[in-house]
Amino acid sequence: MTDTLWAAAFLAPALIIFSVVIIYPMLYSAWLSLFEWDGVAPIKTFVGLDNYTTLFTSNRVFWIALKNSILWTVVALTVPTSLGLALALVLNRKFAGRAFFRSVFYFPAILSMSIVGLIWTWVYHPTLGMLNQLLGWMGQPSLQHAWLSEPSIGLFCVMIAAAWHNTGLPMLLFLAGLQTIPPEVLEAADLDGASRFQRFRLVIFPMLRETTFVIMAITFINSLKVYDIVYVMTYGGPANQTQVLGTWMYFLTYNFNRIGLGTAIAMVLFALTLIFAIPYTRKLSRD
Amino acid sequence: MTTEAVSMPAAVLPVETGNTTRRLWSFAFYAALTIGAIIWIAPVYLLVSTAFKSSLDFSTNGALSLPSRIEWGNFAKAWDAGIKTYFFNSLGLTLIKVPIGVLIEAMAAFALSQMNLPRSRLIFGIFLIGLIVPIQMTLVPLTIVLRNLGLIDSLFGLFWIYLGFGLPFGILVLRGFMKAIPRELVEAAFMDGCTWFGVFWRIVLPLSKPAVVSLLIFDGVATWNEFILAQIFLRANTNRTLPLGVVNFQTEYATAYELLAAAQCITIAPLIIVYLVFQRHFVDGLSGSVKS
Repeated sequence: MTDTLWAAAFLAPALIIFSVVIIYPMLYSAWLSLFEWDGVAPIKTFVGLDNYTTLFTSNRVFWIALKNSILWTVVALTVPTSLGLALALVLNRKFAGRAFFRSVFYFPAILSMSIVGLIWTWVYHPTLGMLNQLLGWMGQPSLQHAWLSEPSIGLFCVMIAAAWHNTGLPMLLFLAGLQTIPPEVLEAADLDGASRFQRFRLVIFPMLRETTFVIMAITFINSLKVYDIVYVMTYGGPANQTQVLGTWMYFLTYNFNRIGLGTAIAMVLFALTLIFAIPYTRKLSRD
Repeated sequence: MTTEAVSMPAAVLPVETGNTTRRLWSFAFYAALTIGAIIWIAPVYLLVSTAFKSSLDFSTNGALSLPSRIEWGNFAKAWDAGIKTYFFNSLGLTLIKVPIGVLIEAMAAFALSQMNLPRSRLIFGIFLIGLIVPIQMTLVPLTIVLRNLGLIDSLFGLFWIYLGFGLPFGILVLRGFMKAIPRELVEAAFMDGCTWFGVFWRIVLPLSKPAVVSLLIFDGVATWNEFILAQIFLRANTNRTLPLGVVNFQTEYATAYELLAAAQCITIAPLIIVYLVFQRHFVDGLSGSVKS
């Protein structure tokens, strides 16, 4: 057997499965977004770019979902990442009990998003939830809310639950990044009389640039496709005010049978993802 | 909820001054960290303590109190009410999918890193597309494919889809690891009359053990936790996996809080065990994805 045949044999299972599960569906989705179809009828009607025009001009909920997805992405890029960095800096110091605290702060990251959603739905429960009971116990009943069912704050409450889950990954990656900084560099900074803050801003942070980029890219890609935690906690409600692109795609496709519109949203999602995904995959394939 | 934790670095300022000051700083440091940790883990406390309460206890004493009496029966009730089926569905799917997936990924990573394959960079790049594609973009066509193959609403159909979605990350991590294996080892094996398969099975795969173990654990957790694909492609109650079944449990037993909490505890218990035993591998596996 020649070398090329051997290589083909080693690659074949992965390539075949990958083509059927990922590549073909991506292309087919792009194609379907040009049709009007209910998912059942034998005939699909070609409508060109009409689905996209409909989304951007006459689908009110699409705009809510787009706005919420952008908001979600901005919050996800800032809150859990900076919290993860802060925790990593603290937990990188040598002190007794460090491993224990690392485990505690990483723990939520191993839970399923759907379970995180269920747990926090209980935290936010209007009468039986921990948050309102705690506020009542502290004598602050005026601060109590029906957290998830108030349109103005519902999405932020879900974001906090997601941040709880999403802090562990940046924390762990930043910790790994901090390990790669040679101690001599830090000593040199101390000898030069750098303050703690200067040391962080001028020495540590630049050396974490690579890690930061990877975290930002992963966070960006994951934020745009977010679905499960919103589905579990608010189901897009009240009155579609907490819809994100991922959930609205699901509702249009599987609840309203608007396959063309649903796949068009998926294409919009993909286009947005590419902003970060192109430099990210470039970096990964260059080595 | 998160502000305490953000302000923690303030407690970590210089400690080079006198002994008393140092002790004060140390105390403040631990105090801040402990408060942060308590707040951080409070939702889990709420879940676990609810699972051990009777429904009367929960409704009279509220969410914050400790259980007045430990109710192990909640777990048995949740187990018999359907969690048992979901548990074994998840367990079977995870135990079958993860090793097969990692083997396929290792084979591909071997071909891409050790075999001097022309266009290997391009093929690797194609696999990386899988890391960035929004899952939503594949759902409709996958529904059609599974329907045509008669695999909709079956764990066997879901198995193939999980295999596909696991490939990019697995190949990324294993390829990165295998590239570091010295070529001399491979060449020496050829001298001894090994075939390519022998090189893979007897040299490269055993040497990649750290990466393989990390990946097995990482992918095991991801498979155990997966919700979106299971929700789209599984319908019948008897086919549901745990994350899906537990969400459904919530609608079915909307007021039996103690049963819901027990069901969720059963779902996360295996994760806690795996996490405590293999903690080191979480870090190793993840850093493999950063250092390419």
